[in-house]
Amino acid sequence: MFKLKVADAKLLRDMATAISILVDEATFKIDPEGLKLRAMDPSRVAMIDFEWPKTIFEEYVCAEPTRMCINISELLKLLKRASKDEAVELALDEKTARLEIKITGKYTRNFTMPTLEASEEEVPTPKITFNVKAKTTTQGLSQAIEDAQLVSDHVRVEADAEKLVLNAAGDLMGAMITLQKGSDALLDLEVKENSKATFSLSYLSEIIKAASATSDIATLEFSSDMPIRIDFQQTKEGKLTFFLAPRIETE
Amino acid sequence: MPTLFKDLADLLEKIAATRKRLEIVSLTADFLKSLDAEETEPAVSMILGNAFPKYNQKTLDISWTTLSKILQRVTNADWKIFLDAFSSTGDIGSATKALFEKTTLKKQTILFTKPLTITEVRRNLEAIAETSGSGAREKKERLLTALLSQASPTEAKYLVKILTHEMRTGLHEGLMEQATAKAFDLPLTTVQKANMTLGDIGEVAATAKTKGKNHLFTLNFKIFRPVKPMLAQTASDINEALVQHNGETSFEYKYDGARIQIHKQNGKVQVFSRRLTDATSSLPDIVESIKNNIVAHEAILEGEVIATDNSGNPIPFQHLMRRFKRVHDIADAAEKIPLKLYLFDALYINGKNLISLPYTQRRQTLSENAGEIPLTTQIITNKQETAEKFLQEAIAAGHEGVMAKNPNSPYTPGTRGKHWLKIKQTLDPLDLVITAAEYGYGRRHEWLSDYYLAARDPETGNFLTIGKTFKGLTDTEIINLTRQLKETAITEEHRHVTVIPKIVVEVTYNEIQHSPKYNSHMALRFARINRLRPDKQPEDADTITKVKNIYEKQFAKKGRYKTEP
Repeated sequence: MFKLKVADAKLLRDMATAISILVDEATFKIDPEGLKLRAMDPSRVAMIDFEWPKTIFEEYVCAEPTRMCINISELLKLLKRASKDEAVELALDEKTARLEIKITGKYTRNFTMPTLEASEEEVPTPKITFNVKAKTTTQGLSQAIEDAQLVSDHVRVEADAEKLVLNAAGDLMGAMITLQKGSDALLDLEVKENSKATFSLSYLSEIIKAASATSDIATLEFSSDMPIRIDFQQTKEGKLTFFLAPRIETE
Repeated sequence: MPTLFKDLADLLEKIAATRKRLEIVSLTADFLKSLDAEETEPAVSMILGNAFPKYNQKTLDISWTTLSKILQRVTNADWKIFLDAFSSTGDIGSATKALFEKTTLKKQTILFTKPLTITEVRRNLEAIAETSGSGAREKKERLLTALLSQASPTEAKYLVKILTHEMRTGLHEGLMEQATAKAFDLPLTTVQKANMTLGDIGEVAATAKTKGKNHLFTLNFKIFRPVKPMLAQTASDINEALVQHNGETSFEYKYDGARIQIHKQNGKVQVFSRRLTDATSSLPDIVESIKNNIVAHEAILEGEVIATDNSGNPIPFQHLMRRFKRVHDIADAAEKIPLKLYLFDALYINGKNLISLPYTQRRQTLSENAGEIPLTTQIITNKQETAEKFLQEAIAAGHEGVMAKNPNSPYTPGTRGKHWLKIKQTLDPLDLVITAAEYGYGRRHEWLSDYYLAARDPETGNFLTIGKTFKGLTDTEIINLTRQLKETAITEEHRHVTVIPKIVVEVTYNEIQHSPKYNSHMALRFARINRLRPDKQPEDADTITKVKNIYEKQFAKKGRYKTEP
């Protein structure tokens, strides 16, 4: 038996959007304490680590731990039918292996969709020693990424004690975006060692765009030529963290 | 121990370096033996240049435009390196290798780095094929970027060959059958028969590996898994057919239509095109007619569909192809272009495999199960006069000619033998592949309208040019073709565009001449494109051997000029 209810559909919709950036079929681990998902995208370049404790929900019932796999973009289509402030209930019918989605507001909609075979893959957390920790507003970070995207499909992220710099070099054009420590966009910066790493904007921009809807503050942690960890502080409790592997120039 | 993709790439390098068949077979056999069970089918498919087994309906759907963009992104290279290597080797894979060797790579790393295994490559190919919906193209590009980033130059060479379905190592399916037989200690005929039944040599090897070789002796067809069609050779006239078939043969109308394979189990019907792609949803009228008429609860049948006007008269082939390609407004198309189905063979009925039975018996079983669906118009005769008259009737009724089928012959899937012969009145048109094209002049100056036509060399997998033409296509066809060719364009110099051989066209001509102009040393005279053949793939194109045979046959009726070989 698994059932949950949120008072505002937006919460679920933003979560589903963030997940759909990386995975099509999402396997959730569900237990009496809450909902978790940790998955890599099919190219294995990025991963999402997501947790929602039961306290987030209006109502949360889970008798025993289970796994549930659903096509996240199909779910998203249904959730998009709900307007803001409409309540959404999800209930798993274990007998038919279908998920029921009930949207209540001005009127009531009951959708059902099939669940899929749950993945058994356990994705570990990358073990990285980070030399830079930068706390930004998601708004400032999104803007900086949009700037970089104008000129290139990848961006070099660099940090020293004073600033965080995004450096994008395209075939013809270039961009350098500086976030100074203590500015409105860069709330905090801890640097153990000056570091730089390059990332594909194809992943980075979509992750940041989607996750910004759920969060005002993003913490970036990285080291030279290592995967970056981006944590989006959730407005309520919960966790939304992404890892992204870098692009590296080799001989 | 999972097998590395590197080992597969190394094997392919060795195979490509030798022309000794025995060596190719024995190298491949040793490799097959070393594989884990779940790697066997993916490895065999990849060695043959296929991303997936033949019966699989998955497609990668990657254009050369996309792939070349990714190669440039990963290698961050001067594209001239690729183009130079391509013009000296003529091989996309080798040019990719050169590109990877001569450049500083900008690699997209992955999170938990592991060596690239055969299984991991297959997983990536599946993920590429499965991307759909919004952002699918972006997702495909990310997958390709990450996959190619993990590859060494040699691995990249063969990944690109698999991605473009252009292996060209000289290891064709026939040799893979031999390698499978050798690896699992099986008689070659058993492997060949199993391959006919399962429709995929990778699956045969995997079955031998997992279920043991005895399992291969008792294989049967699987409903809804298409079987490779039996193919026909060309006979020059009625008499040749009668002689080949020992005096008496079955003649039937050869319709100007599309061949389909029908699978039925209880209330479910699936229809496959000649390329074995699922055409069920495009042909609801045919599916309905099969459900209503076919008596057997399980059946694999073959037939020919033709497009007709509203009074039932055959109309040209190109309209039929519009039905097959239709994805939207299917009901509307079905009304505008009605189809008519003629059945001609039964491979499997109610659990019984019929292919070893003589043709006459299969046809008997077919007629008992066909309901009101007509069978192809047929006569069985030993009289040349009767057959000639029948051929004239067929042509008068607007059909292409006749098929002559040996009444006592079995059905041999995927083989082109003399049991089935096609007889047409003119010089047999050739199905050729477009390997390059040039922009036209005047009104056609923005269109790729002059086409280089090539026949397949089954030994090497290369395509050899035998002619060039700008004749036969409508403006609309040329515009569409220009767009398709640009997507597969590899190089463009002085209005001459070299493309990945993908598009098959049917070509008529007056004569085949000896010519130093092309690498085949033959040239078609007055070549003209009769029609596009979207139902055929490059590997279905006619071979250089067939072209040589036609060339030789011309001298049966005329003298040879002294310098002609």
